[in-house]
Amino acid sequence: MLQNYFKIALRNLIRNKVYSAINIAGLAIGVASCILIFLYIKDELSYESHFDKADRIVRLVGEIDSDAGHEQFALSAPALAPALVKDFPDVEHVTQLARAGKQTVWYKDKRFNEDDLIFADSSFFQVFNYEMLAGNPAEVLDEPNTVVLSEKMAQKYFNSPAEAVGEIFTFSNEPYQVTGVFRDAGHSHIKANAFISRSTLDARLDDETRNNQWFAMSRYTYVLLHGPEEFDAFQAKMDAFAARHVNPWIKENDLSGTMRFVVQPLRTIHFDTNYAADLSPAGNISYVYIFAAVAVFLLLIACINYMNLATARSAKRAKEVGLRKVVGADRSQIIRQFMGESVFITLIAVMLALALVQILIPTFNALTDKNFTSGFFLQWEFLAILLAIVVFVGIVAGSYPAFFLSGFKPADVLKSDKAPRGGSAILRRALVVLQFTISLIMIIGTIVVFSQMNFLKNRDLGFNKNQVMVIDIPRGDSTLVKGLPRIKQELLSNPNVEVVSNTNNIPAEGMSKLLMLMEKDGQQVEKTMNTMFVDYDFLDAMGIKLSRGRNYSRDFKTDEKSALIINEAAAKLMGWTNPIGKRIQVMDLDAKVIGVTKDFHTKSLHTEVEPLLMVLAPESDGYLLARVKPQDMAATVNFIENKWQAYDPKHPMDYFFMDEHFDEQYRAEEKMLTVFGYFAGLTILIACLGLFGLASFTAEQRTKEIGIRKVLGSSTGSIVLLLSKDFALLVMLSIILASPVAWYGMNKWLQDFAFRVPLSWWIFAAAGCSAMLIALLTVSLQAMKAAMLDPVNAIRTQ
Amino acid sequence: MNKEELIIETENLQKKYITDTVETTALAGVDLKIKKGEFVAIMGPSGCGKSTLLNILGMLDSPSSGAFRFLGQDISKATERQRAKLRKENLGFVFQSFNLIDELTVEENIALPLAYLGVSKADTEKKAREAMERMGIAHRRNHFPQQLSGGQQQRAAIARATVSNPSLILADEPTGNLDSVHGREVMSLLSELNEAGTTVVMVTHSPSDAEYAHRIVNLFDGQIVTENLNVRRHATELL
Repeated sequence: MLQNYFKIALRNLIRNKVYSAINIAGLAIGVASCILIFLYIKDELSYESHFDKADRIVRLVGEIDSDAGHEQFALSAPALAPALVKDFPDVEHVTQLARAGKQTVWYKDKRFNEDDLIFADSSFFQVFNYEMLAGNPAEVLDEPNTVVLSEKMAQKYFNSPAEAVGEIFTFSNEPYQVTGVFRDAGHSHIKANAFISRSTLDARLDDETRNNQWFAMSRYTYVLLHGPEEFDAFQAKMDAFAARHVNPWIKENDLSGTMRFVVQPLRTIHFDTNYAADLSPAGNISYVYIFAAVAVFLLLIACINYMNLATARSAKRAKEVGLRKVVGADRSQIIRQFMGESVFITLIAVMLALALVQILIPTFNALTDKNFTSGFFLQWEFLAILLAIVVFVGIVAGSYPAFFLSGFKPADVLKSDKAPRGGSAILRRALVVLQFTISLIMIIGTIVVFSQMNFLKNRDLGFNKNQVMVIDIPRGDSTLVKGLPRIKQELLSNPNVEVVSNTNNIPAEGMSKLLMLMEKDGQQVEKTMNTMFVDYDFLDAMGIKLSRGRNYSRDFKTDEKSALIINEAAAKLMGWTNPIGKRIQVMDLDAKVIGVTKDFHTKSLHTEVEPLLMVLAPESDGYLLARVKPQDMAATVNFIENKWQAYDPKHPMDYFFMDEHFDEQYRAEEKMLTVFGYFAGLTILIACLGLFGLASFTAEQRTKEIGIRKVLGSSTGSIVLLLSKDFALLVMLSIILASPVAWYGMNKWLQDFAFRVPLSWWIFAAAGCSAMLIALLTVSLQAMKAAMLDPVNAIRTQ
Repeated sequence: MNKEELIIETENLQKKYITDTVETTALAGVDLKIKKGEFVAIMGPSGCGKSTLLNILGMLDSPSSGAFRFLGQDISKATERQRAKLRKENLGFVFQSFNLIDELTVEENIALPLAYLGVSKADTEKKAREAMERMGIAHRRNHFPQQLSGGQQQRAAIARATVSNPSLILADEPTGNLDSVHGREVMSLLSELNEAGTTVVMVTHSPSDAEYAHRIVNLFDGQIVTENLNVRRHATELL
């Protein structure tokens, strides 16, 4: 019997090629998208999972409440580690990391600028079990001046990991011996090219910082507990810990505010966007939800196609059902047959989907910046998901047709003059409306997303990001800093170089906050504020405008000691109506505000412009900015390259352009949203496939009516109109339903941005019109075919 | 008439169709007894209830009221599943429009009832082959219905109706879509089956087809108006 069902299913598929193609193509596209989305989500959720003890590790992050507001840092103080060990002897391990950032690395005659260097101690590898390709994890970082390389970094310098061990590298003029090589597999918020023994760094700390300075937040502190069930209790212990050690210290030192340590489970770090100065940018969990929803939508739309087309076509299968009943089939057997058929079709679609995925993986990788391979095809998790898809789609898509078809009465359907109607037209219409509502929500979403992205890139940032070449000035090299005035002059000798400036920081890089005293109602109050160290030419090089006062000037000898520039947001924060002359004490400066800049963005437009202090420090290292003329760019860049390399032959030169660097902040988001856009396109495609099938069915069903109308003198045009009108109404209804939902969703998404496009009516109108246009094109094609038939043939077919 | 021998017995069988506004009476109290081995023709003008009666006898439809016993068993209260079981074990159907499944070959169509009876593969092949040979369509076994002439299609349909060796064959205008030559051929086949012991109940418009039956039941407005013994057929048998 199974064989019989199989044959019927297969022959039906072959005989009704268009119908089968629509169903299978729709399902295959839906399933392929689901598989790709599954891969993406699984990858996003896989952070830290490769560490054996991932579920037992927590990070302690700092939260400070003070006049400056509520501040959250991924960082904590060096003093935390020894205090934890002392207070909680039952804690298995405490380990701290510190960023070493980007450094020039020397090895024999090789020189590279290496990023993502991290200071760690010997207990680090006890907590995070990296696979070691060389070296013993228990002791690799025991000695000072040792370094453990990542496999990737080792490959740059050596032929094999074993070869690296014992070799000497130089970082910041200090020798470090390679003691091990680890494999950099799996996703983690800790992205390291090398772990450097922290003892060198620790040796530099003064006693106060080492033992007691709780606001010296420069470390990432991880604690290995016995299991997740301890997390809550440990949080309570940490609250008591802060009350015991930290808050008394704050009082003793006449500082304001209170501090708390929050226990952050390792597995939650990747999606936790709350903490500043994290080791790597946080992921966005809402994209995981959005993509999961998109996957379900795509499958649902494909299922609806199947249901609609199967019931619409049911008249054709009615005779078969009747006959099977006549020869003795009962209803349950018929239900099983049709369910089986949909599972069978789903299986074919899944096969096709797998082939599609295989073809699409490289493109998908390029779109998402991931590195998927088809190796996952054989993982049990994947096979389980595949099975779930087959069962879900088979049952969802197959159930309605199965129950509907199996209800046919043989006495009704076997009389040739009494063909049954193809299922409930109302239900079918409702399903079409659902499909188009989903598609429209996605179209509207796509339009909003892309206009927002466009807005972000083109908005006036308060500075001119174009035509600024940025050169990394290696930090901590005093001879380089001393010679800056000379190299700046040399660069300015080229008429295409307009302004040259040096600064410790640039927009889109993390800003550091400093504690300062600021004048408020005749008193000096404590504030923490983003602070940059800039030279005389910074505002000109950046194209930042002053709203009050003046820029730093070489003509005022006192500027270096007693003048400060702030932005408007800082003036607003202090409530200064006339900020010029207000007193600010920061570090060893006691200075007056001489200028206020217009607000400019130092971070992505997700956030408002924050208060900012720009301190004059002509010897800042960090970045050299060169504003160049657009003419002869390549030659100018080449000129600057040559000059800089001659000036600093010790370090490999790193440079980039400000605009690209700033837009880089949106790159991950943009990639994700591009993928979303593709999937939105696919939903529309699948929905239209279904509509095409349904329209052809309607035209077929109404052939006789069309014939009679034509005999009575109706034109082709009016028949196309007649057939299209119904569908147009359905799409219209979808627009009405989709608009508020999309408005709500997109409004919520836009809340993530401090600066956003308005949700104007034209977005909804454009989405509605395009959906209507696509739907009508699809339908009228079929309608036209029916309307052009000779009326004689049309009447005869019934 | 001996009750043991009855295959079908109805008493005051009624069937009403109710639509939004109209109530139509298709059968208005039919009392019919059919013996095993009989060949009964049901005749009457269009809309007199012939097909409705045949559908009820074939358990494809249920009566609104009245009693219907099949082989002594009361069917009027049977569930769909029970009726499906009785159908597949005892009944064979022949339709005016053949009703072969387009997606199955002749042989597969004929084997279909055996599949629902759970007959083994080897037996199915054997029985289907025998049925095809009996009906003279064995050479067309791998063809699809659309590739056959009307007469061949109806022979395939009869082969399917008889493949499971049913005790009763219900035929609804079996020659309605055939020319006279093929029509006669089909009637001879039904007659042969009857002679071999199968009960046949046939709805027909054609007086010449009715000639093959032992008994002719005339329906009018949902009631039996006359029941005639076919003298000629009886006479032949008596000879």
